[in-house]
Amino acid sequence: MEEQTPSENTPKAQETPEVSPPEAPPARKPKLLAGALLAVGLVVGLYFVNRYWIAPAVRAQTRTPAKADANHPLAPQFSLTDITGQSLKLSDFQGKVVVLDFWATWCGPCRIEIPGFIDLQRRYAGQGFTMIGISMDDSPEPVVDFYKELRMNYPVAVGNDRLGELYGGMPGLPTTFLIGRDGRIYAKHVGAYDISVFEAEIKELLAASPTGEAKNFHQAGRVFDEDKVELGDPATIDSEVPGVDITKLSADQKEGYKKLLESQECTCGCKFSLLKCRQVDRRCGYSRKTAQDQLEAFLKAKSPGTAAK
Amino acid sequence: MRRLLWVCAFIIVAGNWGWAQKDNPVVDAHAVMATDAAHSDAPLKLAVLAQIAAGYHINDHKPSLDYLIPTEVKVDPGDQFTVKDVVYPKGTLKKFSFSDVPLSVYEGAIVVGLRLQTGKAVPAGTYTVKAKFAYQACNDHACLAPSRVPLNITVKVVPQDVPLKPMESDVFRRLKFD
Repeated sequence: MEEQTPSENTPKAQETPEVSPPEAPPARKPKLLAGALLAVGLVVGLYFVNRYWIAPAVRAQTRTPAKADANHPLAPQFSLTDITGQSLKLSDFQGKVVVLDFWATWCGPCRIEIPGFIDLQRRYAGQGFTMIGISMDDSPEPVVDFYKELRMNYPVAVGNDRLGELYGGMPGLPTTFLIGRDGRIYAKHVGAYDISVFEAEIKELLAASPTGEAKNFHQAGRVFDEDKVELGDPATIDSEVPGVDITKLSADQKEGYKKLLESQECTCGCKFSLLKCRQVDRRCGYSRKTAQDQLEAFLKAKSPGTAAK
Repeated sequence: MRRLLWVCAFIIVAGNWGWAQKDNPVVDAHAVMATDAAHSDAPLKLAVLAQIAAGYHINDHKPSLDYLIPTEVKVDPGDQFTVKDVVYPKGTLKKFSFSDVPLSVYEGAIVVGLRLQTGKAVPAGTYTVKAKFAYQACNDHACLAPSRVPLNITVKVVPQDVPLKPMESDVFRRLKFD
């Protein structure tokens, strides 16, 4: 039956004309199958896009611009022996502006900053400033060679993982801290920067009051998320199981937990037990993560819900 | 049903975007074998497939400068195998802001070939070859600490009369052992 077109003058609803039911649509199964296949293909495709493009790009672009950090914590103290055999303590430089540079001889970006640091030391040492270099090399020999080759004119010591962790861990080298006259950290820079960035900050800190905070300090250069100053927790760093805070465990629980770690081998290939690996290789991410997971499991098994003292 | 498919698609996309936020290592590596098993007193070929995150590079096995830490596959073959050959890929010369000279580096996906020899009297059984893919990565402004990826390769030794099935032909076709 023909469909009737309503007239503008239609006063009231007309009776619905009788129409035959529409023809049954084509079978929907092929469309559903195609849809399902599309969904699966989308998942697989997105997995590979994420795996090999998005996630690596996200990681590569961890330098997310951020606001300057208003948090100025006290710089952790340390006591080392520099490569000339002299004592090197941060406390010896109280009242001075310090640029504390964590670097390594195997790090190209670190090496290119050094001549600029030498120049800063030469120009500002007489004004209450000093550079301090903390090398994260595994041994002093390459550091001594490099020190002599470049005629470095400021104290350099070989650091250790514990010191790196106290300063918040090293997301990358070089990592450089600007410490004011009051012993507080005013800026952190991860990666190589033009020396002018450090010079601007040094001048500002030198001009600050020797006793109080450097108010209105401006971090020079671009600020990124990784430049946020977050210091390590000594309870975790100096733990009997480095990297795992066990201060809340009772003496018995500590012994039980350590025995558990001693009974398992680390999967990093070191052939040590988890406990030994944590103690000799603080950098090992495998033993750190496993030890943390094992602590959670241990606490659940021994005392579900709470860690009894 | 159409609405349901759209909802599913939305969930899939939203969930996958969450994956993008997960922390992935700079270098992923795993090992594969050229055959599904090995015979005693016979060569055994393996390959380490490594994927370096975009934006990062690791040094060539023979670095351009002596202070750079080379990429290396360290193998602990155990008592059942001996290492005959390790074949590294050729690096790509690239200029970085922190170096006066171009550096030979690895980027993206690389393959390192391993040729082992199974011992003469190794009985049929399953053995583990331990290896480490050791590297030191940098991007264009900072360097990460030297690191390693542990590799535990399970090798099944079968009797001589059991044929070996080729695996990963595409990978091994491109490797040139001495």
